[in-house]
Amino acid sequence: MRNNYLSSKLFWRGFQGSGEGTKFIRFLSIWLLSCSMCVSLYAQEISVSGKVTDAKDGSPLPGVSVTIKNGNKGTITDADGNYKISALSTDYVVASFIGYQTVEESVGQRSIIDFSLSDAITSLDEVVVTGSTIKTAKRELGNNITSVNSDAIERSGSNNLFGALQGKLPGAQITQNSGDPAGGITVRLRGVKSLSGPSDPLYVIDGVIVSNSTVNVSQTALGNQVGESAVGNNRLVDINPADIESLNVINGAAAAAQYGSRASNGVVLITTKKGKAGAPKITFSTSVTVNELRKKVPISTYGKQFGFAALRLHPIGGLTNAQLPTYVRQPGETFTAVTRDGVVTNLRTNQVDVTRYDYQDQIFQKGYGTDNNLSINGGNDKTQYFTSLSYSRNEGIIRGTDFTRYNLRARIEQRLADWAKMSVGLSYANSFGNEKANGNVFYSPINSVNITNNIYDINLRDGAGKLLAVEPTRVNPLSTIEDMNFTQSINRTINDLQLNLTPLKGLGIDWIVGVDAFTQNGRGIIKPYPYQAIAGLPAERYPTGYASNASNSVLQFNTDLNISYENQLTKDLKLNAIIGGSYQYQRTEFQRASGEGLAPFIETVSGAGSAVTAGYGLPQFSLSGYFAQTTLGYKNLAFLTGAVRRDQSSIFSEAERTQTYPKVSGSLILSDLEFWQSAVPSKIVSSLKLRGSWGQAGNLVGLDPFSRFWQFQPTPYLGRNTIVPSSQLANPNVRPERMSEFEFGTDIALWENKINLGATFYNQNISDLIVSRGTASSEGGLSIVNNVGTMENKGFEISLNLVPVKTKDLTWDVTFIYNQNRNKVTKLGSPTISISNSAGAPVFLIEGAPASVFYGTTIARDANGNPLLTSQGFLQSERGTQNSATPLTYSPVRDATTGQPVIAGTSSVRTIIGDPNPDWTGSFMSNVAYKNFNFNFLVDFVQGVSVFNADKRTRENVGIGPISEQELKGEIVRGYIFAIGPIEEWRVDNGAFAKLREIGLSYNIKSPIKGINNVNIGLSGRNLISWDSYNGYDPETNAGGNSDRVRGVDFGNVPIPRTYKAQITLSF
Amino acid sequence: MKKIINTFFLVSVLLLGSCTEEYLNPSSASQTQVVSDVTGLITLANGLSFKYSITRVSPNYTLPTTSGLLTRELVVLNAGNTDEQNLFQGGASVIGNNGVITNLWNQSNLTKSNADLILKNLSIVTDQGTKGALQAHASIFKALALGNLAMFWQQAPIVTASSAPFVDRIAVLNEAISILEAARTELAKAPISAAFSSRIVAGIDYANTINALIARYALMAGNNDKALEAANLVSLATSVKSEFRHDDLTRNALFESSFGNKNVSEPFDRLFSLPLALQTPTTDGRIGFFYSAGGTLNLGRASFFTSNSSVLPVYRPGEVTLIKAEVFARKNDLTNATAELNKILQKVASGDAYLIGANLPAYAGANTQEAILTEIYKQRCIELYLTGMRLEDSRRFNRPSSERTRNFLPYPFSERDNNPNTPADPAN
Repeated sequence: MRNNYLSSKLFWRGFQGSGEGTKFIRFLSIWLLSCSMCVSLYAQEISVSGKVTDAKDGSPLPGVSVTIKNGNKGTITDADGNYKISALSTDYVVASFIGYQTVEESVGQRSIIDFSLSDAITSLDEVVVTGSTIKTAKRELGNNITSVNSDAIERSGSNNLFGALQGKLPGAQITQNSGDPAGGITVRLRGVKSLSGPSDPLYVIDGVIVSNSTVNVSQTALGNQVGESAVGNNRLVDINPADIESLNVINGAAAAAQYGSRASNGVVLITTKKGKAGAPKITFSTSVTVNELRKKVPISTYGKQFGFAALRLHPIGGLTNAQLPTYVRQPGETFTAVTRDGVVTNLRTNQVDVTRYDYQDQIFQKGYGTDNNLSINGGNDKTQYFTSLSYSRNEGIIRGTDFTRYNLRARIEQRLADWAKMSVGLSYANSFGNEKANGNVFYSPINSVNITNNIYDINLRDGAGKLLAVEPTRVNPLSTIEDMNFTQSINRTINDLQLNLTPLKGLGIDWIVGVDAFTQNGRGIIKPYPYQAIAGLPAERYPTGYASNASNSVLQFNTDLNISYENQLTKDLKLNAIIGGSYQYQRTEFQRASGEGLAPFIETVSGAGSAVTAGYGLPQFSLSGYFAQTTLGYKNLAFLTGAVRRDQSSIFSEAERTQTYPKVSGSLILSDLEFWQSAVPSKIVSSLKLRGSWGQAGNLVGLDPFSRFWQFQPTPYLGRNTIVPSSQLANPNVRPERMSEFEFGTDIALWENKINLGATFYNQNISDLIVSRGTASSEGGLSIVNNVGTMENKGFEISLNLVPVKTKDLTWDVTFIYNQNRNKVTKLGSPTISISNSAGAPVFLIEGAPASVFYGTTIARDANGNPLLTSQGFLQSERGTQNSATPLTYSPVRDATTGQPVIAGTSSVRTIIGDPNPDWTGSFMSNVAYKNFNFNFLVDFVQGVSVFNADKRTRENVGIGPISEQELKGEIVRGYIFAIGPIEEWRVDNGAFAKLREIGLSYNIKSPIKGINNVNIGLSGRNLISWDSYNGYDPETNAGGNSDRVRGVDFGNVPIPRTYKAQITLSF
Repeated sequence: MKKIINTFFLVSVLLLGSCTEEYLNPSSASQTQVVSDVTGLITLANGLSFKYSITRVSPNYTLPTTSGLLTRELVVLNAGNTDEQNLFQGGASVIGNNGVITNLWNQSNLTKSNADLILKNLSIVTDQGTKGALQAHASIFKALALGNLAMFWQQAPIVTASSAPFVDRIAVLNEAISILEAARTELAKAPISAAFSSRIVAGIDYANTINALIARYALMAGNNDKALEAANLVSLATSVKSEFRHDDLTRNALFESSFGNKNVSEPFDRLFSLPLALQTPTTDGRIGFFYSAGGTLNLGRASFFTSNSSVLPVYRPGEVTLIKAEVFARKNDLTNATAELNKILQKVASGDAYLIGANLPAYAGANTQEAILTEIYKQRCIELYLTGMRLEDSRRFNRPSSERTRNFLPYPFSERDNNPNTPADPAN
């Protein structure tokens, strides 16, 4: 004991000291050695065997890990649940299995020890993965961790892993940004964490840090039109959800010392399916899906128009007083003068007959899909294998879009000795997608419908079968379907090799090497428009055609070494210590070529006759770090953990790259205390745990690898070498962001686990927030990355699980999840920072406001909050004076006599008009299992949230929306749209929704015929109903794609389809 | 067993000491690399032309657009172009967040500071034929940038610094003039080297442009003698051209963003947006030069804005003649003023480097200073249509304020929020 104490002290000192690895290792060796010397080695070895069964039905459990407590031996049960292990009479034999309670038995004189394991869905003794090789019993954890198992993923009916998780993770907001067949899905745990880097959690699959990046290789035609949006798939779309065994989500920064440098956004640890000892087990499933548009937006087909048929933007197209006198009128043209912001515009009042069409019918389709999985697993007590093969194909609801994916996976575990295990995982994914242009441009299918006056029959063709022009400067919506295509193909392999050694009693050594390597190849074509001479399309729509190809090759390598030591110091006190080191390297090679002026018949850049350009990028970085963590357990009911981690990232300069992150956490099982047990019957309170943790984490990849330099960039220019200094200035002193988080919570199980409540409160403070701060251009640049910001996330997450009925035939469980997060940028360095995007959404970062609020012009209101109409009866924008240094306040200026806003000497003032950060999110899900039937549903809630609906105004300005129809019919005053159009508040819609995310019914048949063990037939639906009041397709959307800064913007986005699925699963 | 454990310790030691890499971007260069090398300085010189003339953020779009919309040379075709629409409405609609004026301010300031990267590192250039040309090139762009600031804002910074101080617009113009004069001296010392001319994007006639710009900014600063002296040094031979060149990739900015389609803006009318009293006869050859047939074509799709690759003069020869006319008129030398004015009125297309020819009768109006100045203003509006000088001219000739929707611009928020020296915004 004394030895331990001393060496621990040495250990800490060594760690905090020079930070040199060798010195640290030396101390560690001494420490470990001294620890192991206290262990006595007297008793005699005997052979113990037994059977492990499921407490639920007595069936044998294969694949259960059976180990000697604090020892170096381990085995697993065979297909019949049998095991054999050698042990000392003083030993304890421990049987543990993911998802079950761990049971330990003292050996004594016994040679046969049987185990009966019971379900441990919320039990404190469930073992969860908390790091690549680290597993911990829940009772020891000071922080919240959520587990999702394969059943929940399978029942979701989604073939996208993130889609399958929607509504199932406390503290998470999972948003599907696009309804494309491989549309991006964003996961945010406890809000946005960074204003420059991603807020995406770290994803680890079987110890391999995997990329979930979004890189656009197919639609390079978007060019710089999308601003800070990150459009396209996020790369976890390559993962087959059917391969996932379980998924553990650590929401907080305080969680994992193992991932300190990258854990600030939370960690998602994914464990794939493993083989179980026994005869080969074959599972095959196949399904068909149907995707359809859930709801069309109202498009007016009312056969009238103001002015004359060729008048563009008839609701708002007008003439100034200066233009009117010399204007040559069309027959019958009449005008009314509308005053807006003190300026008079003359709008047409006469109407002409036109024929209107609903172009939605031409771009949407019913999409069909299929999902097929085959897996074979088996093995013996030494070797287990799991292999799987899958094929899935899904058509989108936009004509001509689809996504096809093949997955191949193998996982082999081999026991090398009774103290050594090796495992290897190999996987390959291949996918291919046909896409149409992203919403952010006006040549996308949905935007071309929104922006085009619908008085042209788009089905008409010329003698050669070519499409005809519609409104000048606009793209015929059918061109977006027939003459544009963007494809993307991916080859990806994710591999890991692990060695798990237990060379000495209590000592474990784990080593992992992981590689995630993939290449995305993209191609895009916009054929020259046959009607350009009439339409006069602007350059941004590529009138002469466009072709591109791009490729993105990514290599991510990581290796982790963890050494753990466990020792029962005294009868009551247990020590668990881990030290570890890791190294990560990431390289991205991006190349692209594009050109315009396409030769006829040629569909690649090889046919480009003009504006041919190429580019190449090579961002790369490395990270390394090491950590030490110690947990002291008292009587298995109180635990205290301390850890410290030191990291280096090449993204930052020499002086700033080394960072240290500490953490402490503790847990107390109140219900195991003697006084509690005597006072409270365990029938009422099964268990009660209190937990709390504090920790820091960094964002060592939260910056572009070259952002700290002033980059002088080449550009092609008339055949002469040209270099332009970047408008982003250098800042060698930029540091990694640092998050400090405090969380505390409780896990309570009542009435024999019939009610389980988990609640966690947290408070995150992110300091040294990196902000690409705008600079005065008189400084010589437009921006500089700087650690000028701070931000906070405060909130709580509650999950309540009820099991009202649990009998032999009927199990009914219900789960509620409620999350609330309050994000606030507490310091920014500038009063406001505008986030560029193509939708014209006024997305801003503002000191004192949540990140990415909509900050824009607002409707003038009187003291009672009622709109203040102009003397002509129009809504008008609030005017007054506003200091740009204090953007959140303004003083309205009113005329003393009329009470109207004063125009002269004032300007339109801006205020926060919407917030894309929801007040709360939650879900309500239930599962009913009756005999062989299973019924489940999940309703997902996102409430108190705004969407910037760019499309609404577009449709009304163009004159194809329902309000313009009302104006034509005289139901509202002529000029209503003209008056309100520029007021940004009008474009913000209520984005709250509740969605029937999942509903499913399945029937299970055991051994229907010889040779088939099980048949399962299921019907399911996703996103069948949405309860919302949104004026568009779907409030769950984001034109910003997977961007963390542009959120809640609807601009030509493809809506999320309603999906039906029928599936059959056979097990042999 | 020991072997394995030893290996692990070895691996861990390797891991812990391994993060010392420095990864650089092979697709970009550093400031040190570029400014320490003569060829690097020439690539920066091309970068100046690029920054000044290419894309919608460049002054070659924002300058004619800002001035054009504030003086009704242009009309907005689609009110969805909010920044342009606000400029067209003028007055209080123009605030510091306006994208067009912010770009004009920012890109002018960046052109100025990027030009300084060349001007401050000329000492590494040993060959006078390269040094003089580099100085001329950088000085021309710095002067153009300063000129833009002085034409639209009452004050502007002339140095590049954090919290840069502002000086009065006349001081800004004088700074432009002195930079150009220094460059003129240096340029005259040796003929332009082949090393320079083979690497620079061709198009700009340095000696004539320097004098034309000195004349322009001296006139705006009220220094009539200097303006005349410099104007007299500019060769008006039809073979002399000084221009921005473009191709399908690096496009004529106003054509690309505006005049190539009918969605952003186009000329307000076919009459150079002049009031009734100042209208030019329909026989004026310049009407056909500056306006397209209209209809489905943008009315401005003509002259210097007909295609991606249309050239854009740095200065139009007619401006030099009109500067001379104005100086004579302001000095009350009406004879010479009329003589210069007639050179514009009677110019035939073939007599102009860019084929701009009014081909009208000689001046027949009143022989008074006021009448002649008004005629000079009118001819500037036509001859220099869409050069971005209309707002400055309208103020200098004391035109009625109804002919422009603002006198000066408010300072962009990006400057005000980050530079405490930013002056108060003008009322209008």
